[in-house]
Amino acid sequence: MNKILFAFLFSFALIGNAASPKPAALPGDSVLQIDNVFTNQDGRNFKLAERRGKPQLVAMFYTSCKYICPLIIDSGKGVDNSLTPAERKNLSILLVSIDPARDTPEALMYIVNKRKLDTTRWTLSRTDEKGVRTLAALLGVRYRVLADGEFNHTSALILLDAEGRVVARTETLGSKPDPVFLAAVRKTLAVK
Amino acid sequence: MKRSVFPLIVAAVLFSLPGCKPGKQDVAADTAPVKTDTGGSAAGDFGPPQGEPVNAVLTSPPLVPPATGRTAPAKVIVELEVKEVEMEISEGVKYTFWTFGGTVPGSFIRVRQGDTVEFHLKNHPDNKMPHNIDLHAVTGPGGGAASSFTAPGHQSQFTFKALNAGLFVYHCATAPVGMHVANGMYGLILVEPPQGMPKVDREYYVMQGDFYTVGKYREKGMQAFDMQKAIDENPTYVLFNGSEGALLGDKALKLNVGETVRLYVGNGGPNLVSSFHIIGEIFDKVYTEGGTHYQENVQTTLIPAGGSSIVEYKAEVPGTGVIVDHSIFRAFNKGALGMVKTEGPENKAIYSGKEVDSVYLGDKAVSSAPVSAAATATAGGVLTLDQQIKAGEALFNGTCSVCHQSSGAGIPNVFPPLAKSDFLNADKNRAIHIVLNGLNGPVTVNGNKFDSVMPPMSQLNDDEVANIVTFVLNSWGNKGGTVTAAEVAKVRKETPRPQGAAH
Amino acid sequence: MRRLILLSCLISTASLAGGAYVRVPAGEFQSVLKYEDNKGKQKVAAFDMMKQPVTNAQFLEFVRTHPQWQRGKTPVVFAEQKHYLSHWQAPLVLGTNVKPQQPVTQVSWFAASAYCEAQGARLPTWNEWEYTAAADPKRRDARNDPAWRESILGWYAKPASTTIADVGKKPANIYGIQDLNGLIWEWTEDYSAMLVSADNRNQSDPDKSKFCGASALSMEDKESYAVMMRVAMLSSLDAVNSTSNLGFRCAKSLPRTQTRSP
Repeated sequence: MNKILFAFLFSFALIGNAASPKPAALPGDSVLQIDNVFTNQDGRNFKLAERRGKPQLVAMFYTSCKYICPLIIDSGKGVDNSLTPAERKNLSILLVSIDPARDTPEALMYIVNKRKLDTTRWTLSRTDEKGVRTLAALLGVRYRVLADGEFNHTSALILLDAEGRVVARTETLGSKPDPVFLAAVRKTLAVK
Repeated sequence: MKRSVFPLIVAAVLFSLPGCKPGKQDVAADTAPVKTDTGGSAAGDFGPPQGEPVNAVLTSPPLVPPATGRTAPAKVIVELEVKEVEMEISEGVKYTFWTFGGTVPGSFIRVRQGDTVEFHLKNHPDNKMPHNIDLHAVTGPGGGAASSFTAPGHQSQFTFKALNAGLFVYHCATAPVGMHVANGMYGLILVEPPQGMPKVDREYYVMQGDFYTVGKYREKGMQAFDMQKAIDENPTYVLFNGSEGALLGDKALKLNVGETVRLYVGNGGPNLVSSFHIIGEIFDKVYTEGGTHYQENVQTTLIPAGGSSIVEYKAEVPGTGVIVDHSIFRAFNKGALGMVKTEGPENKAIYSGKEVDSVYLGDKAVSSAPVSAAATATAGGVLTLDQQIKAGEALFNGTCSVCHQSSGAGIPNVFPPLAKSDFLNADKNRAIHIVLNGLNGPVTVNGNKFDSVMPPMSQLNDDEVANIVTFVLNSWGNKGGTVTAAEVAKVRKETPRPQGAAH
Repeated sequence: MRRLILLSCLISTASLAGGAYVRVPAGEFQSVLKYEDNKGKQKVAAFDMMKQPVTNAQFLEFVRTHPQWQRGKTPVVFAEQKHYLSHWQAPLVLGTNVKPQQPVTQVSWFAASAYCEAQGARLPTWNEWEYTAAADPKRRDARNDPAWRESILGWYAKPASTTIADVGKKPANIYGIQDLNGLIWEWTEDYSAMLVSADNRNQSDPDKSKFCGASALSMEDKESYAVMMRVAMLSSLDAVNSTSNLGFRCAKSLPRTQTRSP
């Protein structure tokens, strides 16, 4: 009787394992723990946990931003251009809009085309207001909606490792990257 | 002569030199010795830290950490904790102080110019408020305040290089800043000059602050901060080291005769400037505003709010020096009082203590006892001539002798004599009249002319006039006799009183 | 038996549902915070607010039914390990030192948001919070009354070692809401929108690039320093932080379209 029970349970376990291979849980300090749903410039929905496995740069912006946001893209490009082709292959860049009401996938695509961004590695995305607040809180980005619909916000480029942990951040923006930050990017890419 | 010529000579020399513009001449160098400057922050970077990192020794007031003794720049780690503590501000009066290191003022920090300081600010988890720190020794935004804003239960870290030597204030700069400072969030950081501070026997830490409570001065119980009083700059307490008894009684600073002492004195404010003085002492040296050069022989020195001073003196005699803010109502009515107790052998050559204790009568050179004796006798109806004469003498010497002299000789050509005076002896009633009403206009006494003004002695009563005239008549070779109070009263009644006469 | 189960289900739902909500009417309001873009009065739309802060008992019930928010199980990215509910005896036990009716403290913004979300609610915005907290039992805006200010400052003057009182002990304000002042600091949904310079003295010197076009928030009005201290507190926090005097309550938007609060 016991043997049958044992075999019964064992086969279940096998089936269970084959059906849904369970990955190791995300580390407790991973930003990818965020559960909200994001939508990219193609209109495809995804969760941040799906981006696990590769280091990435993350920043928050919005498409109609007049002051700093164009610089955020320049900053991402600046880091990118400073890397070797081999390093570049392993780094992806995620921008998340803090203005989901106006930043539809179409608006995001507009920017992709305007700045000629390589969508195999660059992702522009939006989520709902709650997701924006939560991600901003996780990344330490502060922002405020103005009366005219514009935003005031802090601007940072944040480096996450392959597991989604914050490794470095820089508030120096522009096409010439902050050398300390660049060094951290290189180091994280090398570890992979 | 030399003074006025010298600049001309210099000017002449400079004029003759090509390229020298007039107006750039040096002022004659015959005033205080020229002070070479230290170069300030531009000369304060001695390079990267050397050796192992040092953990700074912090002390609670009134103690000061020992000299660093370093000769090369070091990395110094400072760990300072903010604690919100309830303590007594005055006997029976409680106040919630916000403190650096659990004390008001906060812990004393001591580093050397050129040191790299790694500053850790901790905000105790039991605290309610966020806090930060602005050290006046820091060259950098906010003095560190921007980099140290810390919520309770957390800590912040930032690093700075101490480029300037001096005694600097540090304080919390979280909004509302005045309230954080008024609650006691200040202290001192000493950045030693490269050669260190000159050696003294003792060093102490004193810091003045003004405090604002809802209740009155010394009103018992738990007191809350009063923002309106702080805005009006109307403190309830002005204190050294955060409480009324902080430097009194057995907490007084101690010193021995013959020792040199240096006080590192700060003023946290938030509002008041201090007029710092120690009663019974003179400061041999005052490093004004906690800077590099010293002034000598100073009684009272100004310490700005958010500023400091370093004072030094040598104790020569024993006793208690009283530390005060010489805006004196603060010392006696708001608590700005501390003590330095100096012990040791006396030195009478410097200070003798009290030498003579005798009665000082002011302008009454003789005791007025006979006057009261006479008065008693008169009352009893048994006044004797002798008593009158003695009483009269006492009164004469306080009143009449000023002009007529105690010898009765008067002053030639000014005041007529009463001694052996033919004018006096001729008419007793006239004499009474003159005492009561005064006399002006020409008189001839003993063959000499006088033309002065004698004011009416309107403050004298009948008995006093009687006794004075009796004394005069019986002195200096005059003819003698008595005058009674009744006679005086009669003269008083019969003569119209001139202007100026009282009653 | 079934009735008993049903009853216990209802009770647990009720305690999970948390405290009662009170309708706060719309109004115009002059905030203490001076931003460049809104110097005048702001409109606050009507909304529902919890009458009292969330208690230890209510939060305990929440973590029982939402185990991912239990102490030890919550990812550190959502709550600091050292502080999160550190005063409870165990992850599911309050202990004798912690009273069920005290407001819950040592909770991060993420945990507070999650609790409110489980209610179908959210954290109040700063505007909503300030608007409601300006009231006393008699008036909607008591901020000019020195007595109102004194009562708030009296709390700041109390040493932090004082035990926090239970919720609901003090009189409600004119809206019927209690303990907005004098008990604990409270999280708001947009605490991070308070772009305050870490050196609070720099208000008149804008670093425009730091806050993308804005100067840091101006908090110069001496009259409002009681409120100013709340702003200073919230601006010192990150979402993951918690302190022993920081708790929260929830709010609900009303089911109709609202203009976005300025």
